[in-house]
Amino acid sequence: MNKTLRISFSLRNTYRVNGILYSLKQIPLLKRILPQALYRVRGLKVFANVLSALWEAVSVFLGKFLYFLTMVAGIGALYKTAPAGRVYLHILLFLTLIGAIMNTSLFNPTRDKYYAMILMRMNAREYTLVNYFYALLKVILGFLPFSVWFGLEKGLPLWLCLLVPFSVAGVKMAVAALSLWDYEKHGMVYNENKLRKHLWAVVGLLLAVAYGLPAAGIVLPGAAAAALLAVFIPAGAAGLWKLLTFRGYREINQQLLAQLTTQMDTTAQVIQKRNRKVISADAGITSKRRGFEYLNELFVKRHRKILWSSAKKIAAVCGFVLLGVLLAFYLAPEIKDEANELLMSFLPYFVFIMYAINRGTGFTQALFMNCDRSLLTYSFYKRPDMVLRLFRIRLWEIMKINLLPALVIGAGLAALLYASGGTDNPLNYGVLFVSILCLSMFFSIHYLTVYYLLQPYNAGTEIKSGTYRLVMSATYFVCFFLMQLRMPTLVFGLLCIGFCLVYSAAACGLVYRLAPRTFRLRA
Amino acid sequence: MNFVIEHLSKRFEDKEVLRDIGFTFESGKIYGLLGRNGAGKTTLFNCLNRDIRADGGSFWLEENGNRREIAADDLGYVLSTPTVPEFLTGREFLKFFLEINEKSIRDPKSIDDYFDYMSIEPDDRDKLLKDYSHGMKNKMQMLVNIIAQPNVLLLDEPLTSLDVVVAEEMKQLLRTLKQGRVTIFSTHIMDLALDLCDEIVLLNHGELERVERSNPDGREFKEKILAALREEGYE
Repeated sequence: MNKTLRISFSLRNTYRVNGILYSLKQIPLLKRILPQALYRVRGLKVFANVLSALWEAVSVFLGKFLYFLTMVAGIGALYKTAPAGRVYLHILLFLTLIGAIMNTSLFNPTRDKYYAMILMRMNAREYTLVNYFYALLKVILGFLPFSVWFGLEKGLPLWLCLLVPFSVAGVKMAVAALSLWDYEKHGMVYNENKLRKHLWAVVGLLLAVAYGLPAAGIVLPGAAAAALLAVFIPAGAAGLWKLLTFRGYREINQQLLAQLTTQMDTTAQVIQKRNRKVISADAGITSKRRGFEYLNELFVKRHRKILWSSAKKIAAVCGFVLLGVLLAFYLAPEIKDEANELLMSFLPYFVFIMYAINRGTGFTQALFMNCDRSLLTYSFYKRPDMVLRLFRIRLWEIMKINLLPALVIGAGLAALLYASGGTDNPLNYGVLFVSILCLSMFFSIHYLTVYYLLQPYNAGTEIKSGTYRLVMSATYFVCFFLMQLRMPTLVFGLLCIGFCLVYSAAACGLVYRLAPRTFRLRA
Repeated sequence: MNFVIEHLSKRFEDKEVLRDIGFTFESGKIYGLLGRNGAGKTTLFNCLNRDIRADGGSFWLEENGNRREIAADDLGYVLSTPTVPEFLTGREFLKFFLEINEKSIRDPKSIDDYFDYMSIEPDDRDKLLKDYSHGMKNKMQMLVNIIAQPNVLLLDEPLTSLDVVVAEEMKQLLRTLKQGRVTIFSTHIMDLALDLCDEIVLLNHGELERVERSNPDGREFKEKILAALREEGYE
C-alpha cells in the first residue's frame, strides 16, 4: 500500500513537473534562454517541484473555498425567503448529491491512471483504492475549514459544521459503491465525464431543487437536512465495505481508460476533427468561378455553418434585442433617460461585444485546418502573387461576413439613441454607426493579418508560435479593459474610427510586404 | 540538367542537423535517400522546399552549364502523410489546380484523363477529399505534383503506408516519370530503395554521401550501407 502510494505520487508529480517545464518552454522570450535539455536541469526541476507541491496544496483548499463562496453561500445569500442557515443547508445538501454523482474521482478517467494501470501495469485495485482514499482525504481536509467558517457564519451549530465534510465523503462513497454494484449487475461502467441521459435528468432535477425551490419559498427544514447529512455517514460506511470487497477494478479501469485513449487525442487532433465535421457534404454546392475565386467560393459555401449562418444568427439575435429595448422604451418610458445617457458613454463597451461576435478566429482556424494546412505544402500556393491574391479575396469575404451583424448593431444603436430622446449633436448618430462598422472591419483585418503574418500552426495543426498566443491574449485583454472604460461616445467613436483606419492601412501594408515570406507552415 | 546543393546547413539550437551539405543530383535518375530516424531527411526536404529557412548555403539548377535559381514550380514535394484540401472534391481540386497553373502546364489533358491515368475510379472523383482513403489522398497528391512536371521531385516516405497494389502502381509511375527530372526519394526501407532507385545516398551525421553500387542486388551492398549508418559517433 505504502509503495503504491509513493509510486503513484511520484508518477503524478513527474507528469505535472514535466508539464510545467514544457509550458515554460512555450513562453516566447524564456524559450531562448532555457536549454534544450531542460528536463534534466536540477534547478529547474526543483522549481517545478515546488510549484507542483504548491499547486497540490492550493488545489485542496482553493476550489472548496470558491465553491462555498459562490455556489453555496453566495447564491444562497440571494434568497430572502427563508432563514439564511436553512437556505445554506438546503443548497449544500443538494449540491453535495450532485457532486457525489459528477465528481467521483473513482470513475474519472485521467491520464495518470492510464499511465499507472495500463502502461505500467500497476495493481489496479491497490492503485485505485489508494488514490481514491487520498482523494477523499483531500475532500475532507478541503471542506473542513470552510464548512466551519461559512456554517458558523450562517448560525449553524459547530457539530453540524464538523459533520459536513464527513457527510460529503460518505455520500461520495455510497454513490461510488452503488455504481460498482450497478456494474456487477448490468456490466455498464460509469464514466463521470460522459453521463448517460437519465443521470443528466437527475442532475438537472437536483439542481432545480437546490436553487429553484428556495426561490419559490420552499426550503428543507433544518432538522431534515441535518438528518440526511448524518445518514450519509453510515451510508458511506456501507459503501466502504463494497469498495473494499469489489474485485473488478482492473476490468472497470480498462474499459474506462479505453474510452480515454480516444479522449487522449491531443487538442490539435480534436480541433482537426471538429473542423472536418463542419465541412458541408451538400452535393448541390458548386461554383461557376475560376481559380482562387472558385476555391474561396467553395470554401465559404461548404463552411456556411460556421461562417454565414452564425453571422446571420448573431444579427438576428441583435435585431431581437434591439426590438426588445424599443418595446421596453414604449412600455416604461422612464428608462429612456438612463438609456440615453448610457448610449452617450457606453461605446467602449461595444469594442468587447464586437470582439466577441467577430467570426475572425473561426474563419482563420477553418482556413488553416481545412484548406491552407494542405495547400501550403504545394509550392504553387506559396508564390507571392498567389498569397496576396488569395489574401485580398479572403479579406473581402470575412469583412462581408462580419459586416452583417455590425450593420444591425450600428443601425440599432443609432435607432436607440433616437428613440431614447435623441441628441443635440446629430453627428453622434453617424459616429455610433460608423464606429461600429469600423470596429467590425478592424477585427476582420486584425485576425486575418495576424494569421498571414504569424501563421502559427505546423503541419500537425499545433500552434507553434508564442507570439501568436501573445497577440491573441493581448487582443482579449485590450478589449476587456475597454469594457471598463467610460468615455463620451463622440470622442471615443472618432478615436476609434481613426485608429481602425490607420491600423487597417498599416496591417494591409505589412501583409503585402511580409506575408509572402511569413505565410508558411511552421516546422 | 543537374540539381546542385552547396554548403547547405541547418541547426536547431545546439543540434546540427545539416552540416555543410554539398551534392549534385543528375536528371533522369531516382535517388534513394537513406538515413536513420532523426537523421534530418525531412529537414533537408523542408529546406529545399523553403518551408524552413536554412542557416546557410544555396541550391540551384544547372542547365547546359547555366546556373539558375529554383522557382516555386521547379519543385514538387510529396509528403508522407498526404495533404489535400478536404473541403474540395477530387475533381474540384484538380480543376482549381489546373486553372491556377494553366500558364505553366505543358499539354494539359482533361480532368478525367488525369483520373484515369492515376486509376481513380469514376465514383470517387466527385467525392469530398475528406472522405478519400489514405491511398487515394496519396494518389491525388502525387497526381497534382506530376501534372506540374517539376524539375525536382521530392518524395518523403511516400509508399510506406499504402496497400501493396497502390504501392506497386506508384512505383511503376515513378519509374515512368524519372526522365527529364531529378527524383529524390526518402525512405526507411532499404529493399524499397534498392528496388526502385538508381542511386543510393546516405544522410549521416548531417552530411550526404553517395554509396558506390558495386554489386546492385548483393548482400554486400546492404552490409555496406548498414555499416555506414551504424558508424560510431551517431547519437
